[in-house]
Amino acid sequence: MLTIAFKDIKIFFSDRRGLLMAFVVPIALITLFAFAFGGAGRGDEKPEPRQLVIADLDQSNESKMLISSLDSLEEFVVKTTTADSATELVLKGKRAAVLLIHQGFGDSVNKQGTPVLEIRSDEGEGPEVAILTGALFGRLNEYVGRMKMGTLYKRSGDPPPQGILYNPQPAPNLELKQTSVIKQKENSAGLVHAVAGTAIMMLLFSVTAMGMGMLDEKAEGTLKKLIVSPINPSSILFGKMISVNIISMMQLAVMFIFGWLVFGLDVPSHVPALLIMIFCTAYSCSSFGVFLVSFAKSRAQVQGMSTLVIMTMSALGGSMVPSFIMPAFMQKLGVITVNYWGVQGFYDIFWRDLPLTDPTFLTRVLVLICIGTGLNLIAVRLFKRNVLALA
Amino acid sequence: MITVTDLKKSYGTTVALKGISFTIHPGEFYGLLGPNGAGKSTTIGIMSTLVDPDTGTVTIDGNDLKKNPKQCKQVIGVVPQEIALYNDLSAVDNLLFWGSLYGVSKSDLQIRIEETLKLFGLFDRRNDKVKTYSGGMKRRINIASALLHKPKILFMDEPTVGIDPQSRNLIFEVVEKLHKEGMTIVYTTHYMEEAERFCDRIGIIDNGTIIAQGTLEELKQQGGEKESLVITGKGITEEIVSKLKSAGYTLTMSEGELTFLSANLKTEMPKMIVACNDAGIEIEHIDIRRVNLETVFLSLTGKQLRD
Repeated sequence: MLTIAFKDIKIFFSDRRGLLMAFVVPIALITLFAFAFGGAGRGDEKPEPRQLVIADLDQSNESKMLISSLDSLEEFVVKTTTADSATELVLKGKRAAVLLIHQGFGDSVNKQGTPVLEIRSDEGEGPEVAILTGALFGRLNEYVGRMKMGTLYKRSGDPPPQGILYNPQPAPNLELKQTSVIKQKENSAGLVHAVAGTAIMMLLFSVTAMGMGMLDEKAEGTLKKLIVSPINPSSILFGKMISVNIISMMQLAVMFIFGWLVFGLDVPSHVPALLIMIFCTAYSCSSFGVFLVSFAKSRAQVQGMSTLVIMTMSALGGSMVPSFIMPAFMQKLGVITVNYWGVQGFYDIFWRDLPLTDPTFLTRVLVLICIGTGLNLIAVRLFKRNVLALA
Repeated sequence: MITVTDLKKSYGTTVALKGISFTIHPGEFYGLLGPNGAGKSTTIGIMSTLVDPDTGTVTIDGNDLKKNPKQCKQVIGVVPQEIALYNDLSAVDNLLFWGSLYGVSKSDLQIRIEETLKLFGLFDRRNDKVKTYSGGMKRRINIASALLHKPKILFMDEPTVGIDPQSRNLIFEVVEKLHKEGMTIVYTTHYMEEAERFCDRIGIIDNGTIIAQGTLEELKQQGGEKESLVITGKGITEEIVSKLKSAGYTLTMSEGELTFLSANLKTEMPKMIVACNDAGIEIEHIDIRRVNLETVFLSLTGKQLRD
């Protein structure tokens, strides 16, 4: 097995075009994406319903009425939870922002005061937070305004005037406080995305190309010679997997070192977690590459298919652009991609500063390992049927 | 050393082997001779564990191939028809890799690689990448890579296809040397000269069946000791061939040539020439070929080896 692995590594480094594809092209793309996404913001609206998490600390009729009103809108899907859980969702990267209705909200409405609502957000998700806040502020102002007017007329005994819902006056009906629970720092979210997203996408291309080496061996006859040698046929595949894994890990490591040296990504503070995530991502991506190749009987069969599959996975999984830009159903589909778990894992390390033992980080590690192992198991069966079937 | 019993193999509806059997003795040089598609490579493929037979058994060095494939693989060396090397590695790296798969220690391997490279006249180019080699040089390394673990049996599947005369001669010298040293060699070819030159025994295979086997002399006898008269000329048609056949001649037509077959060519040759003239053939060239594997094959199958 190791003999096969070392042979493959030697061949890999002797192929200048392969090295160019594996290292230089991704570096060029990282540079491009880093400039494109690093710190850039967006304000465009999304027609898809947004998941809105609300923590109701007031539990008054008014706060419940507000939640019910927001929930009745097509643009939001509301879920309520505690303040701690809501904050946790932001800290773990599961939500870009959450809304907190603080104690005293109902009293403030009834007394015609200025109730304070709070949006807790991840500063790294700036564009998504801005879109959510923009959509939310108008609605909150409208509903709080209505409630205040209702209280006023109820007190005076007169019915509220028809057609007037709220007064769009410059002075707002409420104060919307914004608190960042994850603040901007040296590792900008855009930079993390540029490095991790691009590195994973390019890694998928290069592992598929490396996997295709097996089909070349079949076409050139070396696979026949390997089969007639006394080694176990499974060792041929496992040897190939080892070499692809080692090269993948090296490739990812080079990408992050480049991100550190050129763009200041804080690699030195996260070495253990980074090594774990590099290992898991490389394992998962390598397995995907071998899996894709094991489907085919010739290089030509893989070439067209791989480009399409990898580009789709990269788009869905958030390698190319942050996933919140995409429609909700595509965001959900992204969860089945290697890219999603890898990118989120690197976010956990560099942006969210999650410790190694954090369940969210460990879950991503576990999912990547499971994806890799599952794909490997299928690949072994397919490989025996498609690639080893020389007769 | 090798016993093949009733091997059958089909690829879909195409029957490649129809139940062939033969025995190869230790130290023997056994040739499998037949035209393209006759079943030679399938037979070698099965004996070298590359292809699973539908039915039948193969015993190699006392081990059943199906039950003990690893033991069988350890004693065989395989030279495939295609040049199966890593072009981006040097000759030494290729040989180190292929040799190590057979569990040869690195120190032994280095000695053997040096010996083998010298034997094949490639020692000076040992560190060059294989992709810089000529076709003949690649063929030589291809053979060398099958010898490093000192196999008892060497399977060679058309090892001289498409190479220059210098490399061909060098390969012949090595093959003869290995045979003299006692290695059992199974050699497939469609070049009758190679089979005649090297083989102790030859199996003639056609349409998945061994139609004759034995020493060269035995095969000549089985073929009726027939010589051939090859006539090249203008106006050779299928119609003329049919007419000549109905006149009682044994002959085939291939690429503007008529090949008559006769056990008594000296007597019948003038009549054959006259018959050709009468049929309207403009004779340009006449060649008499003594009894050889080509005429044996022609006599047994009615076809030429190159067909």
